[in-house]
Amino acid sequence: MIWIVPALPMLAGLLLWVTVHQAESDSRRRGAAGVALLTACTSAVLAIVAAGFEAEASVRWGSFLEPSLSASGAAGMVAILVPLIAAPIPLYATYHEPNRGLGRLTGLLVAFIGAMQLLVLAEDLFTLMVGWELVSALSWGLIAHDWRDGQSAKAAAHALNVTRFGSLGLFLAAGAAFSSTGSFAYAQLGEVAGSMRTLLVAGIVLAAVTKSAQVPFSPWLYSAMAGPTPVSALLHSATMVAAGVYVLVRLHPVLAAEGWFSPVVLGIGLATFVGGGIAAALQGHIKKVLAASTSAQYGLMMVAVGAGFPAAALLHLFAHAVVKAQLFLAAGLAISTAGTAELRHMRLGRAMPAVALLSAIGAAALAGLPPFGAAWTKEQIVAAGGSYAAWLGLVVAAAGGLSALYVTRFQLMAFGRGDRPKPQSRLSVPVAALGALALATVVLSIAWIPGLEPALDAVGLSELPAGKPWELVVSIGAVILGVYAAFGLDRARRLARLGVARAGWIGDWFGIPTVAEKAVVQPWLRLAKAAATFDRVVDRGVERSAQAGRWASRVTARLGERGVDEIVEALAAAMAGLGRWAASSAELIVDRVVKTAAGATGYVARDASRIHTGMLHHNYLFVAVGTIVLTASAAVWS
Amino acid sequence: MLSAAIFIPLVGALLLSLWRPDERLSRSAALGFSALPLLLLVWAWRRFDPSSPELFQLVEQLSWMPSIGAAYRVGLDGISLALGIMTAVLFMAASAFPVDTKDQAPQYYAWLLFLLGVCLGLFLALDLLLFYVFFDLTLVGMYFLIGRWGHGDPQRAALKFFLFTFLGSLTVLLAILGLYLASDPRTFDMAELIAAQPLAGSGAAGIVMFGFLFGFAVKTPLIPVHTWLPPAHVDAPAPASTILAGVMLKIGTFGMIRIPLVMMRDTAREFAWALAALATVSVVYGALVSLGQRNLKARIAYTSVAHMGLVVLGIAVAAWLPAADATRRLALSGAVVGMIAHGLITGALFLMAGVFWKRSGSYDMDSFGGLAGRAPRLTTLAVVGCFGGLGLPGLLQFIADFQVLAAAVDVVPVFAVIALLGLLLLAALFVQLLQDVFLGEPSSEAGGFADTGASETAAIGALLLAKRPSDDR
Repeated sequence: MIWIVPALPMLAGLLLWVTVHQAESDSRRRGAAGVALLTACTSAVLAIVAAGFEAEASVRWGSFLEPSLSASGAAGMVAILVPLIAAPIPLYATYHEPNRGLGRLTGLLVAFIGAMQLLVLAEDLFTLMVGWELVSALSWGLIAHDWRDGQSAKAAAHALNVTRFGSLGLFLAAGAAFSSTGSFAYAQLGEVAGSMRTLLVAGIVLAAVTKSAQVPFSPWLYSAMAGPTPVSALLHSATMVAAGVYVLVRLHPVLAAEGWFSPVVLGIGLATFVGGGIAAALQGHIKKVLAASTSAQYGLMMVAVGAGFPAAALLHLFAHAVVKAQLFLAAGLAISTAGTAELRHMRLGRAMPAVALLSAIGAAALAGLPPFGAAWTKEQIVAAGGSYAAWLGLVVAAAGGLSALYVTRFQLMAFGRGDRPKPQSRLSVPVAALGALALATVVLSIAWIPGLEPALDAVGLSELPAGKPWELVVSIGAVILGVYAAFGLDRARRLARLGVARAGWIGDWFGIPTVAEKAVVQPWLRLAKAAATFDRVVDRGVERSAQAGRWASRVTARLGERGVDEIVEALAAAMAGLGRWAASSAELIVDRVVKTAAGATGYVARDASRIHTGMLHHNYLFVAVGTIVLTASAAVWS
Repeated sequence: MLSAAIFIPLVGALLLSLWRPDERLSRSAALGFSALPLLLLVWAWRRFDPSSPELFQLVEQLSWMPSIGAAYRVGLDGISLALGIMTAVLFMAASAFPVDTKDQAPQYYAWLLFLLGVCLGLFLALDLLLFYVFFDLTLVGMYFLIGRWGHGDPQRAALKFFLFTFLGSLTVLLAILGLYLASDPRTFDMAELIAAQPLAGSGAAGIVMFGFLFGFAVKTPLIPVHTWLPPAHVDAPAPASTILAGVMLKIGTFGMIRIPLVMMRDTAREFAWALAALATVSVVYGALVSLGQRNLKARIAYTSVAHMGLVVLGIAVAAWLPAADATRRLALSGAVVGMIAHGLITGALFLMAGVFWKRSGSYDMDSFGGLAGRAPRLTTLAVVGCFGGLGLPGLLQFIADFQVLAAAVDVVPVFAVIALLGLLLLAALFVQLLQDVFLGEPSSEAGGFADTGASETAAIGALLLAKRPSDDR
């Protein structure tokens, strides 16, 4: 039964793609939206049932592979929330995106949810990897959705190659697990020890860091922005990017046994949190601001994992997923209204007040302003940092001000008070989808109500850090400072570049994409070209040596007037004659049997005789010499 | 029954060459004659008992040359069953794929059927002499297919293919003779040779092993004896490329598993390290050279070097370990699945290259672009094929990659890490292929490009949909 949870969206997605080519009519559009919504909700309901029964299932598949799923604990909870958070997104897509290829887009979005569910429910490394790679492949299709634009195809390839690089780590991890336990099951990963455990943990961390777009792999998320906005909303909320942190949470007990795990993950997470915050604050492309913010927020979760509180990371993952999906949908509406993705040409507050308000809710939550849920989960991570080391709590709290700064900048530039006319098109369904997510953000405010621990305990997420009051004060203070700074800069009309000279370079992830292109991609492509040339040289070498062999044999034949050579020559001539005779007689027979011109047959015969004359004497020479050598050696040794 | 599977296509070839029907009838006859062995093999699969302790099942034996210990013996185990069924499927797809037979349809289909018969004979043979006879006959069949129905410079490509692989088959012959002479009583019977391990502890074992590995490495092909492959593939007609890549390359790896791995266990262990190193180099080098190609067919051809390198890596890991070891079985399982996966997926990709040749007479990737709009069916097939080739879960190649690499991490972790680099390159090059040929602005070439017809779609699609026929042991 549990298999249906991932299988249903995948099949429904395929069905949508095949049946809805182009949504010319409103009924088709409604149908696609309905199927997508229904599929997501059914998958969630089934996940609830599966989690309730702590369902497990496995299939024996060959001698070594036993794909297995389990819905107990965190896996069940994530499997419930993923389709629920994702549900509004295909709905939005069917009413907001252009007709061309809409069936493919909706279908892939829905299938994507299924692949993510597989990854979430996986109970062994093989199944995990199946989900992991399916998600990568589907994201390629989604990012390259506007395939007529060469740039989006290129961006899709970039995203796929980077995440593929990370999944190589999973290959290593699987190998390490099998080498120690003879199986790929999560349950036995604890038995892995020694250098194989180092390999296991390193492989999983590599995979997680690339998937969750951490430093230095973050820029692939910028490339992913080439896809339509609903794609970004899905990839950045509860799927794809979430996979990295989720796996670290899921396998935390195994991973934390390795001493270097905590500091490494913590360091990478902190670097991405700060770096992503700075990049987002200086980025001018509305979706890229959110993309950099996604990296940063997942960096924050990495900090929680590194500090030893995976539960805090998971809670922030949920809260962030809702908020980020919401902001992306708002950004999509802003782009289609403004006709550009550049923040400095927007200020749509007057043109679309409802969207601006719904976006503001998400922005406030992401900034870390109470009473929203995302703020509470962020404070948990500040506390987690604080219980790891006092300085860490302080740094995380202070860097939280950066989030407040960039998200306020986002809100002001995209939906600040401007003087644009009202948009003509009616966008009720997309706005409703946005509203649903905003409502979820508001509902999550219950997280601030004390006495929530028993509820979290029930799903195994009770291990939260005990925060200190001063951390909360510093953290909220930093947030207010960030918001205040953004408003102040706005009044001074310096919000776009914050008065920084090289804003573009910093906003573009500190030039990492350029460096990667010049230092990694180009050299490899050049190496490939060189290898192709080299291969032709090798081939020529082989041909030359063959020519030399022929020349040598000619010389030998001319020199050898008697002895073995002559005998072999005579033998070869005889064989060749025999071959010619056989060929010609074959021609004769065929001629007689079939009363047609034997042009084709003659061709066969000529070819046959060429083989005979060309090769037979070599053949016999080799056989004769070889037999002599082997007989002699066998006689000596036996 | 197995003999019927071998001889029905041979009889079909004879009939076609004598009777000479027209193009359509020839093609239908070829399809029919290749469907029969498939049915027979499926039937054999139903009767096959994977849990049986017997080494080989459904054995058929006929006295042939008792004085020298040779006999006509055929039979199968899990590996030959899987390869046999894949062979029959590939030949059906190759026969179904429409091709310009240059007004020599009966001859063309006769050669295809001949090749099917000898390939099946090779996989089912349980006698070394019989194995060698079929081994050499496959060369003859392919030589004519490339030489007569190829394009570009087919004569040269065919001759190069023939000379190169013939050199390999000679060393195999010498090695077979060495193994034969060391056996006591002298026999070519595979089952007896496996039990006897004739050359164990002998000084000649190294030379004989080298003979086998060299010959099979040429066939596979491994670096640096791979240079016959690109011209043979590029100039061959599409179905012949499919057979060449799908079936004939497997002969090399099948031979490694069938003969040296089990008949010379101790020596195989000594050579495992070198073989693993060579295989790893092949994976990375093949992928790298492939990425450097702008000729569509050459690019696919070089991915074969990489994929077959992975198969050999699995075999080398297996050779390293004692017979009962779990990792050995994982590695072998991965290698066999890798052979099937490569056969089906690369077979399909070569048929696809044939579509390009037929439409435009060109394999130049730079002259295409944006074909997705003109040819949606071909694009769908290409996306599935390319993602299959780079190891998308759900298609077979992934299972092979996963098993081989997991086993390799256990035994040769450094090689595994290097081979993983090849996997990354494969992903990059397949995605780049899709991007350059099918996505982006439609090029001028794309204007008159017709989508795949029914039989083309069926032939390619069937290969991509084909599933793993049985669980090997």
